[in-house]
Amino acid sequence: MRSYLHIKIKGKMLWSFCAILILGIVITCCSITVFTINQPDTATVGSTVPISVNFTYHNIYASSTENLVFGFLVPKGWATAQNCKITYTSTVGNGSMVLMPSTVTEPQSNGLSWPAALLKKFGIGGNLVNDMEWVVYQSDVGYPLSNGEEISAILNISLKVGADNNNTLCKLGYVIAESADGLRPIDGSLDNNGAKYEYYAEQITPCFMLTGGSGDVVDFCNPQLTSVDPPKSLDNDFITLTFDGTVTNTALPSGSAVYLCATANTSDGKTYTVCDQSAKTQFIQTAAGSNKYKITIWPRSYFGISDAQTIVNMNYFVTDVTGNIKVGYGNTASPFTYTFKCN
Amino acid sequence: MNSLKIFNMKRFYKFNSSVRLLVIFALLGWTSCKVESLKPPAEATKDVSGNWVVIAATRNGTDLTSIVDFSQFKLSFSQGKYTLINKLPFLVSQNGTYSLDDPQYPFQISFTPTGSKAVSTAFTYPIVNGVRQLTLTFSPGCPNNTYVYTFQKAN
Repeated sequence: MRSYLHIKIKGKMLWSFCAILILGIVITCCSITVFTINQPDTATVGSTVPISVNFTYHNIYASSTENLVFGFLVPKGWATAQNCKITYTSTVGNGSMVLMPSTVTEPQSNGLSWPAALLKKFGIGGNLVNDMEWVVYQSDVGYPLSNGEEISAILNISLKVGADNNNTLCKLGYVIAESADGLRPIDGSLDNNGAKYEYYAEQITPCFMLTGGSGDVVDFCNPQLTSVDPPKSLDNDFITLTFDGTVTNTALPSGSAVYLCATANTSDGKTYTVCDQSAKTQFIQTAAGSNKYKITIWPRSYFGISDAQTIVNMNYFVTDVTGNIKVGYGNTASPFTYTFKCN
Repeated sequence: MNSLKIFNMKRFYKFNSSVRLLVIFALLGWTSCKVESLKPPAEATKDVSGNWVVIAATRNGTDLTSIVDFSQFKLSFSQGKYTLINKLPFLVSQNGTYSLDDPQYPFQISFTPTGSKAVSTAFTYPIVNGVRQLTLTFSPGCPNNTYVYTFQKAN
């Protein structure tokens, strides 16, 4: 019995020692203690926007070589991977941020790529149109971090905005992490100052406004009276238009039947209008009394164009059953507009 | 000497009957263990002929089945030709010819609209609840918008 107890105590000590050793090896992490973003509030389509991201991170565990990881939430239409250059200056070295290879997986997400892992964890950062993407970069070289080391770094971002030529309102998102721990959740470890140790940091900035484009206004920030899904489509897609009567009080009585009154403009300069109030044009209320409606159409068939024609854009109103009450863009008498394009 | 002879004869007969037994067993063994040539039955050629109707459809993962009327749309295969009846967005928009990459184990189907180039797409051809289904994935509009139609033969 005595011997058994003795062995048990030895085993316990051994396990404790191993656990500490393993923790020391595995958790080589960095708490981000400073994280500020210097980003303009507005820009014009096609301009290059300078953004700086300033942060400090602090390593309290065993030393390890790690790459800095930067996730950038941006509208897909900006083609950021092709239109963005990022350099860094830091207390351990200077260099460039390079696109994270698609084959690299985020360490905490069971095989998900970095963009997919960021999308799963942070979504689209409170933007209301599902046409945002996470573009992920890592430092061109890894840096060894010793226990207790603190690194200050600045990311200098040059982003050419508005490749899709759309006037845009959106919330940009920023995530700083390192390659070893990735998006490891807070696990009770404490930093030197007693604060909970955080393995990554995320910030979504207030609404950024892009003007001067000739395309549609795409508002990711504010609820819209109408929206189109998919956000990017051609006339040979099925498109779903949503009318959300809860966004603001309109002249259309809440919960009543509403209809689509639309005009398509084709590439050969012709217009096709469908503005009757029938089963074909009626929006379906998503739930009784919800005052939210949807209609799904195949534009080519809906407007009755020939095989040789292509619809370039569409102007539309939402009407009541008489067709006399028409609600347009921003609850005005101007029509909503939608351009058929893929980028 | 006589007795020796008798003894030898006995041994001879005994030996002879042993050999006979051995030969019989060997013959039995040889005939019973004949290796038959095993030839699996040939995989049936996949015949997609007939009219197919959409029983499920998605756009970028969103179910369209309940919000779009697919009941009139038919895809008809017959003698190497396909016909679209009551058209909806599809891989091709004109009638033409079709072919499978392998008639026995097809993984791809090609549609060649009359006067246009062939368009191929991966397809699956499972039997679900005893009924053959045909699932096609394609992008009729923007390349980023992916549609999946699941067809079943019309009765």
